[in-house]
Amino acid sequence: MIVFKTFLRVLNQCKVPIILYTVILVAFAGFNMQASDSSAGFMASKPDVLLINEDDNTGITRGLTEYIESNCTIVDIKNDEDAINDALFYRDVHYVIYIPQHYGEDFLNGLNPEIQIKSTGDFQASYAEMLLSRYIKVAAIYARYIEDEQELTAKIGHTLSKQTEVEITSTLDTNRLTKSALYYNFANYSILAGCVYVICLILSSFKSEPIRKRTAISSMEYKKYNRLLLVSNSLFAVVLWLFYVLLSFVLVGNVMFTAQGLVLILNSFVFTLCALTIAFLIGNLVKNKNAVNGIVNVVALGSSFLCGAFVPVEWLPNSVLTVAHILPSYWYIQTNERLKTMEALNFGTLRPILFNMGMLLVFALVFTVAANLVSRAKRKIG
Amino acid sequence: MFIHNFKYAFKTLFRDKMLIFWTFAFPIILGTFFNLAFSDIESSEKFDLIKIAVIENDVFQNNEIWRESFAALSDADNAERLFQTQYVSEDEAQRLLEDQEIAGYFVLTDHGPTVVVSSSGIEETILQYVTQEVSQAEEMIQTLTASAMAKGEISTAGDQNAFYAQLYSEVMGIAQESEPRIQNISSENLSYTMIEFYTLIAMTCLYGGILGMVAVNLNLANMSNQGKRVSVSPMRKGKLIFSSVLAGYITQVIGVSLLFVYTIFVLKVDYGDTLPLVVLLTLCGCLAGLSLGIAMAVLVKSNDNVKTGIIISVTMVGCFLSGMMGITMKYIIDKNLPLLNRINPANMITDGLYALYYYDTLDRYFVNVASLLIFSLVMIVVSISGLRRQRYDSI
Amino acid sequence: MGNVIEVQNLTKEYKNIKAVDALSFEVREGEILGLLGPNGSGKSTTINCILSLLNFSKGSIKLFGSEMKPDAYELKSKVGVVFQDVAVFDELTVYENIDYFCGLYIKNKGIRKQYIQDALTLVGLEEFTKFRPKQLSGGLLRRLNIACGIAHKPKLIFLDEPTVAVDPQSRNNILDGIKQLRDNGATIVYTTHYMEEVEILCDRVIILDKGAILASGTNDELKELAKIEEKITVEISNLDARYIEAIKQFETVDMVTYSDNLLLITYQKGKNNLVALMDFLKQEGIEYSKIYSERPTLNDVFLELTGKELRD
Repeated sequence: MIVFKTFLRVLNQCKVPIILYTVILVAFAGFNMQASDSSAGFMASKPDVLLINEDDNTGITRGLTEYIESNCTIVDIKNDEDAINDALFYRDVHYVIYIPQHYGEDFLNGLNPEIQIKSTGDFQASYAEMLLSRYIKVAAIYARYIEDEQELTAKIGHTLSKQTEVEITSTLDTNRLTKSALYYNFANYSILAGCVYVICLILSSFKSEPIRKRTAISSMEYKKYNRLLLVSNSLFAVVLWLFYVLLSFVLVGNVMFTAQGLVLILNSFVFTLCALTIAFLIGNLVKNKNAVNGIVNVVALGSSFLCGAFVPVEWLPNSVLTVAHILPSYWYIQTNERLKTMEALNFGTLRPILFNMGMLLVFALVFTVAANLVSRAKRKIG
Repeated sequence: MFIHNFKYAFKTLFRDKMLIFWTFAFPIILGTFFNLAFSDIESSEKFDLIKIAVIENDVFQNNEIWRESFAALSDADNAERLFQTQYVSEDEAQRLLEDQEIAGYFVLTDHGPTVVVSSSGIEETILQYVTQEVSQAEEMIQTLTASAMAKGEISTAGDQNAFYAQLYSEVMGIAQESEPRIQNISSENLSYTMIEFYTLIAMTCLYGGILGMVAVNLNLANMSNQGKRVSVSPMRKGKLIFSSVLAGYITQVIGVSLLFVYTIFVLKVDYGDTLPLVVLLTLCGCLAGLSLGIAMAVLVKSNDNVKTGIIISVTMVGCFLSGMMGITMKYIIDKNLPLLNRINPANMITDGLYALYYYDTLDRYFVNVASLLIFSLVMIVVSISGLRRQRYDSI
Repeated sequence: MGNVIEVQNLTKEYKNIKAVDALSFEVREGEILGLLGPNGSGKSTTINCILSLLNFSKGSIKLFGSEMKPDAYELKSKVGVVFQDVAVFDELTVYENIDYFCGLYIKNKGIRKQYIQDALTLVGLEEFTKFRPKQLSGGLLRRLNIACGIAHKPKLIFLDEPTVAVDPQSRNNILDGIKQLRDNGATIVYTTHYMEEVEILCDRVIILDKGAILASGTNDELKELAKIEEKITVEISNLDARYIEAIKQFETVDMVTYSDNLLLITYQKGKNNLVALMDFLKQEGIEYSKIYSERPTLNDVFLELTGKELRD
């Protein structure tokens, strides 16, 4: 009991960094929830476009603006070049269309007037550009055969409104699942940093030279003492994990109650165990409290960047992902990623996930063995 | 005497492993992570070929427009190629879709075209868009044929077929030649991973605050034992502190220079044509970090670990707000809480570099340079009373 | 011989607690003055006030005849301080540390080099110039701490408990070094709570308690203050109570106690006491295993003055 009490006292000293890691997790998660909330339904991927019309909003120009407005998400940005440029840089808008004065008139006169655009050059921008040029092309073809502007815009409108039938086979709420996977991916950083930081600091206090000597001569059995320390640390890790799980229910909501959500939680638990063993290994290797801070940042940020906790996995170069296989975070995040689009949970689909969890447990075993070897080696020298 | 103190302050700072780790090694390590993680982002934003399947049935085989459209869009020789297409049976297509090997598949039946996808997304949207375009072209030709028939220009079915075929080639011709004139006037410098490196520079500048703090503490009798020794020596305090702080600043500048050399030559980061201005801003940023450290040294009545903790926390939160863990954060703050980022030194550095990289004019850049100088001045002014104190109530 | 330090009516308060209370004393040129007192008696505070590191409420402090102020650089250059806490840079080697602190006083590099050598020899660290402070044992670290404070050959040296937690060998080395500094012409203020050190080292002693002077003078003058002159201890098993009563009747005896087979007798006068006692024991046929006589120490003086032990 006294060991645990002291553990809590030392833990109390670490509250600032724990709060910091949690605040960053909440900010990141909350912000990502918000960012992807605007996209729902099939046309989730309507490109974000800003339309600046210098022409009268009539006839062919009006047809164009209406077409763009109905097929794109019109972003509300104040008409100020700096604001537009900022929005473009930060991908708040992907495509800006400037319709010049007298565009409609010039177009009908067959001048093929120039339209200026600003583009981020990515998927969304390309899509917006395809929409823009499609309208112009269709208009140009009809303009050859039809003189009357009203009939012309009506025909264009009719043609462009023809939709293809789309069937979506998945009934999965991929959107919300993606969010929860994002949350758990980011939790990779918070769990790892939180566990390693706190446990290393606590171990460096409990295992510091004078204190170790003192406990070694105390009447408490050495093995029992170590076991109590292990239990205390594990308890802390589990509490931290529980807290992050509860937080996910608050932030992501119902989707956590699905089978996929359950596997996400289970996966994060296995990962927490693994993080615990990493913390023990580092705690046994590093004596200096100051060094702990540096190592935590390198280990947690490194694993998170290289395995796709911050950056979507599909954006990571293959070479990086290959190297990332040696990090536990990789296996943890791979499971989260698979769950995002997993239709049904059966033995076939769960097998790779079980394999990933197995890998995490293997890592945990390796770290535990290594930590014991290190601590034994140190005890002999001391 | 100035040089004597400078020399030893420099040696002391340089041999402090923790200081060197945070101001020299950590930014370089983090920069390497950024580089590894972000190197593919921008290129993956460009189009990749979309893997799709088309159901091979009689209706599809007999429809020239559809057949040729898909053939053209999947043609490896076509610069505008979008798809990598497999022609398969419906069962096979369903299997491919379930295994997530294709984004979706296309079925043409007597009832019209259908796109089958498993979920929503960019690739699915493009597949849908393209089929829509083809069916719209089909519809357009039908409309024109119908109106020609209505006007009595063609009457027999044979004429209609011939007209249809002629119209088809004509329409394709018009579509070819009336390529819309779209001029891209956006800046070329749109790479937002640059922001990551800017926050990295901001972080390095502000971590330099630890150097400033240590350099000042060593000269204050109420902060360190060495400070007591220095205080009873016949050296003027102002001179000592100035030379120590200068040593801190130079150490900091060396750290930032290393980061620049590493990012430019190893990570191949392009800071643009305005490197001298980047350097100027960075020097101001270092000053801001240094003065933050001095203020912490003087104003916070606690031990070095707490002060270091405060500097690291201020820096990390500042960098987070200016976009280190996702650049959108900076944009959200800029848009909704501009004041917060106005007083955030990390953002002054990040924003100044961003303005330099992305903007044509230098106004915004110089606003940030000025902000950094004002920030430094404020920090130094609030520290001065503490620095000037010669006797303490307790030590 | 003039006064190197003159402190008058010095008072320093921390939130209603008087750490130093109307303290006045002077230090003469060439002497070793011991400031003796238990922990918290105001020794370090007094020194920090003299050095102008601390604000004080009242009083005046003169060094070498002029008032001491934070910007009295002329005075500061003549002073050397060895603080209670080790004040060296962990990042610098032994040599670099001494060079740095000496360099704050001595500009000329040639002279400085010589001075550093002298300091190294004085404290016996010649072998360790390339070591970092962390690699030194506690005693060697203390010696480095001293070298850093005295390398510039100051005329006035403050040593604030330089021997706390030091092994006997280093302590002897340090005490020898301090004597040598005095022999070279320095005036020394030495604070400690080890009375043995004061007795062998100091020319004059000031005993402080609760920020005020309890007593001052040379060793012998102080010992005069104690009522006792001699203390005799005898190891006797099972001494009968009537003998104790008999010893109490001796003319010069002050107090007799007997416990744990130890007989302790204190005397007000210091002559022929031992002979008289031994005669008495022989006469009564009492067997004893050990007998020894002690002169009073400063601890006895302190005990006498305050009713408590000097050491905690």
